[in-house]
Amino acid sequence: MKQWFVLFNKEWLEILRSYRIIWLPIGFIVLGASQPIATFFMPDILASAGNMPEGAVIRIPTPQPFEVMAGALSQFGVIGLLLVALSGMGAISGEKASGTAAMVLVKPVSHVSFVTAKWAALLLLAVLSFAAGYGAAWYYTASLFDSVGWGEVVQSALLFALWLGFVGTLALLFSSLLRSAAAATFGALATAAVLSIASSSLPFEQSWNPGRLSGLAAESLNAGAASPGDGQGAVWLTVIVTATAMLAALAASARSLKRMPSND
Amino acid sequence: MDNLTNSQWISLIVPLLIVQLILIAVALTVLVKADRTRGPKWLWAIVIVLVNLLGPIAFFLFGRRSD
Amino acid sequence: MALLTVDRLTKRFEGTLAVDGISFAIGEGRCVALLGPNGAGKTTTIRMLTGLLQPSSGAIRLEGMKPGQDLRAWIGYLPQTPAFYGWMTGREFLVYAGRLCGLSAKEAYARSDELLARVGIGAAGKRRISGYSGGMKQRLGLAQALIHRPKLLILDEPVSALDPIGRREVMTLLGELKSETTVLFSTHVLHDAEELCDDVLIMSAGRLAEGGSLSGIREANRQPMMSLETEGDSRSKEWLEGWLKRLPAGFEAASATPAGARLIVRDLETARRTVIRELADADVRVTKLEVGYTTLEDLFLKAVAHS
Repeated sequence: MKQWFVLFNKEWLEILRSYRIIWLPIGFIVLGASQPIATFFMPDILASAGNMPEGAVIRIPTPQPFEVMAGALSQFGVIGLLLVALSGMGAISGEKASGTAAMVLVKPVSHVSFVTAKWAALLLLAVLSFAAGYGAAWYYTASLFDSVGWGEVVQSALLFALWLGFVGTLALLFSSLLRSAAAATFGALATAAVLSIASSSLPFEQSWNPGRLSGLAAESLNAGAASPGDGQGAVWLTVIVTATAMLAALAASARSLKRMPSND
Repeated sequence: MDNLTNSQWISLIVPLLIVQLILIAVALTVLVKADRTRGPKWLWAIVIVLVNLLGPIAFFLFGRRSD
Repeated sequence: MALLTVDRLTKRFEGTLAVDGISFAIGEGRCVALLGPNGAGKTTTIRMLTGLLQPSSGAIRLEGMKPGQDLRAWIGYLPQTPAFYGWMTGREFLVYAGRLCGLSAKEAYARSDELLARVGIGAAGKRRISGYSGGMKQRLGLAQALIHRPKLLILDEPVSALDPIGRREVMTLLGELKSETTVLFSTHVLHDAEELCDDVLIMSAGRLAEGGSLSGIREANRQPMMSLETEGDSRSKEWLEGWLKRLPAGFEAASATPAGARLIVRDLETARRTVIRELADADVRVTKLEVGYTTLEDLFLKAVAHS
């Protein structure tokens, strides 16, 4: 355990020194705050676009606050996910290519610790950044529209954080399997996109699909709806499947590293 | 739409601008202090200042060299 | 007493045998050179010893190690080109390495400072590694390999990437270190092995061609030898070519050198007389005639050529 914290501290120090601690939270804050502001000024922006016929009246219904927050989540679901995947780019493939992984793994270090320490630092950064960005979205929504209840925001945040964590774990897995950092990032994002699109477009029940999580998070913001998706039990099933998949990905990643700690 | 006073408006926009300025300032500081970068420094300076949000992030991700 | 025992160690890569069932033992406190040309399987062997590569078959045992214990805790390893986190300082990396080996924070700091001074980069310890030269990285690599006082220090071509000055400095350091711990290092330069080592293991094409103490091997393979060189004019060349084909009795083996030939002879006195007479008769323009004994280099070349 002591050794695990040594590994984790190194990862965190790297996050500080590579300025990820600055750009990832700021990226999420800007995304989160921009959504309510853009939504608020949308009628003005459309009006000033100027190509409206004389006397035309634009009527855009003022969106519900939870819809604004859901809009922020969909921003996080695209650009936020990209930023998280980029922040973990080359996490393992880079160390394998440069030889630093071999330098560390000839010490009596467990491969599982090596991978999970990276994973924990990566996810901590992602979750903190997301929390900051979602907090900004919440604050701007409350200031410009109306407030959204604590309970709904926390529940949606937890579901979305799990989705982010899942994609971050995929990025780490691909990073240990593929040599190219770019291919690993692309692979993780493509997998996330496929799962997400499948969950919303395929006609059958997909309680098992982690790609559902972002949608569930958006739905759970609406206090009016009875319960998100197809009931609380199905949500728990999704959560459990996602967590299990994350554990399996970590195990696969550690195993691949043990078999091949360096590229040559 | 007109129920926002000027000061409310400023109190909302200014924090967002400050956060972005911090990001740009840090990126420029790192750029100036770096011994070597991937690609010319002046080009990165333009990208950092002009490309909103993603410019500085792209510099942190791809512009720095530390081997 | 053998510290390390290797038994029929084999590594197969997609059909090719990189290491073909080698067995050897390394005595405690010895300095051993793993010698061989590039591609002989030295690095593969070392990577199996350090646990970076799983052997296809065979066993590696360290004296005093209980079954199930982590071999890596006992070994310090310096790869051919050590890699570091450029954003760390040299001292930070050493402390990190030390703590990963189970040292307490206080111990790790004390040991790091001691080793930085020891390898001669004490002043650079607070600088980022990204600014280090190749020689400095090699020294830092040596320091991190020693951080947990390993029983066996394994070095893969520790000086081959260095310039002559860096090479000399690291060789001197190794000379000091070998009195403190058991050292195994690989090299393709015979001279480095002769300078530092007690024992040599000569590898060629994945097999162990020769192994034992340096003096023992030198003694066992010492043969009378004669080396002959001419001016290289056409008449002398012709004569030498012809003579090599009909070597008189008592001359056993021959290898060509750029300007002449090296011959292993049965009896030095008769060989010397024969050669001098023949040279005079044929009026060969001799530049050099050396009479002596085979060196380790002859053995190295022979061992490498044979397999």
